[in-house]
Amino acid sequence: MPNGRTVLAMFVRLAWRNLWRNKKRTLIAGGSVFFAVFLAVAMYSMQTGQHDFMIESAVGMTTGHLQIHGKEYWEKRSLDQSMVLDTALLRRVASLPHVAAAVPRLETVALISRGTVTKVCPVIGIDPPSENAMTGIDRRVVRGVRYSAGGEGTLVAEGLARTLGVDVGDSIVIYGQGYQGVTAAQVIRIGGILHFAIPDLNNSLVSLRLPDAQDLLSAPGRITALAILLDSDGALDETADAIRAMADSELEVMTWREMMPELLQAIAADNGATVIMLLILYVVIGFGVFGTVMMMTAERTREFGVSIALGMKRRHMMAVTVIESMIIGMLGACAGIITSVPVTFYFHRFPIRLGGDYAKAMLAYGLEPIIPFSVEPMIFIGQGLVVLAIGAISALYPVLVLRRLEPVGAMRGARR
Amino acid sequence: MRCTLSLFLLATFCSVLHAQSAREIVRRANDLMRGSSTYAEIAMTITKPEWSRTVGMKVWALEPDYALVYVTAPARDKGTVTLKRKSEVWNWLPSVQRVIKIPPSMMLQSWMGSDFTNDDLVRQSSILDDYTHGIDGVDTVEGHPCWRIVLTPKPEAGVVWGKLVLWVSRPGYLELRTDFYDEDGTLVKSFIGSNITTFDGRTLPSRFEMIPVNEPGKKTVLEYHRLSFNVSLYQSFFSEQNMKRVR
Repeated sequence: MPNGRTVLAMFVRLAWRNLWRNKKRTLIAGGSVFFAVFLAVAMYSMQTGQHDFMIESAVGMTTGHLQIHGKEYWEKRSLDQSMVLDTALLRRVASLPHVAAAVPRLETVALISRGTVTKVCPVIGIDPPSENAMTGIDRRVVRGVRYSAGGEGTLVAEGLARTLGVDVGDSIVIYGQGYQGVTAAQVIRIGGILHFAIPDLNNSLVSLRLPDAQDLLSAPGRITALAILLDSDGALDETADAIRAMADSELEVMTWREMMPELLQAIAADNGATVIMLLILYVVIGFGVFGTVMMMTAERTREFGVSIALGMKRRHMMAVTVIESMIIGMLGACAGIITSVPVTFYFHRFPIRLGGDYAKAMLAYGLEPIIPFSVEPMIFIGQGLVVLAIGAISALYPVLVLRRLEPVGAMRGARR
Repeated sequence: MRCTLSLFLLATFCSVLHAQSAREIVRRANDLMRGSSTYAEIAMTITKPEWSRTVGMKVWALEPDYALVYVTAPARDKGTVTLKRKSEVWNWLPSVQRVIKIPPSMMLQSWMGSDFTNDDLVRQSSILDDYTHGIDGVDTVEGHPCWRIVLTPKPEAGVVWGKLVLWVSRPGYLELRTDFYDEDGTLVKSFIGSNITTFDGRTLPSRFEMIPVNEPGKKTVLEYHRLSFNVSLYQSFFSEQNMKRVR
């Protein structure tokens, strides 16, 4: 009596031989699994990649992953809710494991005026080295002197400069309210012109060196936010907790999820659409695979009948068909994943560049109009497993057929 | 029949009389604070939970369209001038030697850090014409017997309030307190007059407090040190050139 292991080895060998008895049939079945996995991976990778990109660029351009504010600053947006820049806290935050940059900012809204033109603009005091590490503000200087090249610091966005009719070297008046209601008014010489893809920023932003902004707003040593950029969004919650533990209770720590709920909602809505698309894809894949299995079973009804009539146990026959399906599924899934890897990596490295209205919509959101693919390992594994599960369910069909098979009828070519 | 008719007429007459007198009380209280032209010296103290500061100012006004405010204190803001011409607001900033027109989007921002907005300076809503008035009863405020008058905005009036409740002192027509309610009937802020003094022959409250209800620790206090009525002022006084000259 052969032991279990040799029986299993025999079944596998039988299944393998069965598969190659009809190569065309096997290749069609394997092919349907292969395309299914490939499509599911490509689609999911594109969606995930786009969302990661949206988060990364929105977060990198504006708020950072996390921000520390004075209590109630986010709600009231007033300089009165600003906080003292605590260098010890800044150092401790910057030394946390996933923190890529910690960026102090002093932000307010003021009137920018030149001649008879006056505009309401966000005015932001920045620390050039850390700001460069996060938003890369120097890269946005299209004319004039960059911060890193010793620029004197007042940079004006392109669209605003055009509205005011000014350029590098001209003077503008900044007029607003400083800390605790003090009037803030200064004539400032423009050191450079900034270009932003986001129209809102490009039409209004004014940036100063932090000490100059603190001086203008009578807020010495104060900042409205410490923006923190992480190396990965995955470390968001743990880092937020770590910072909450070290910051005193007079400060609030917020994640981008709280600061940009509209981005989170956009992603959730998009994810909903993706889930529906994937479900449709799975149904199509499911019927494709199931159809192939059904045909295979129908073709082999006579063969099943003969084997059982000759004394092969139904159980063993079932095991062999299940192993056959599993082999087809595995081969198809592996081939699908292996093929999708170079494709997704290619589009990860060289993202699809969009044009037309969709590109305009993305620009309006402040995003570069590209779709990079994600190469997160879970995408490959997850989609492979889902398709395998579909294959496994389809493999139940020959098992059910075998259970009820009438050997005599089957040999005579009856359908059941 | 005749009896019913006369009763009806009497009732109608009474209610008209009542309404008129409520409006009349508000008119007299309102006139007391106004003149065709006024000059005032005011100290405005802004109190917030974390800080407070006092702004000294001189105010020239030509009703209803023109006003000019010259800031005398604190030192950092001295010389700042705000000019109101109809619905426009202009600022003269001595530190940068520029005149800046406040754009419409900034009109709802606070003026000099106070609980007043730029829009408060120019808004034309009339306590007389934009509301219907009704006497709600009698009351006392700080020992002064008062009428309590409820003002309901007329449907066509561009008023943000749901209703106003005014306390006007019975002799003297002093507006001692105004409560501002929003459209849900919640009390939003109170405007309280006290410290009754005689200015230029008129007896008036000289101290006004604006207290927002929902923001504890916040208030703005106006103290009048001088107030003259019907001073000689001409439209030409309220000009961009004069903003730079006025002291």
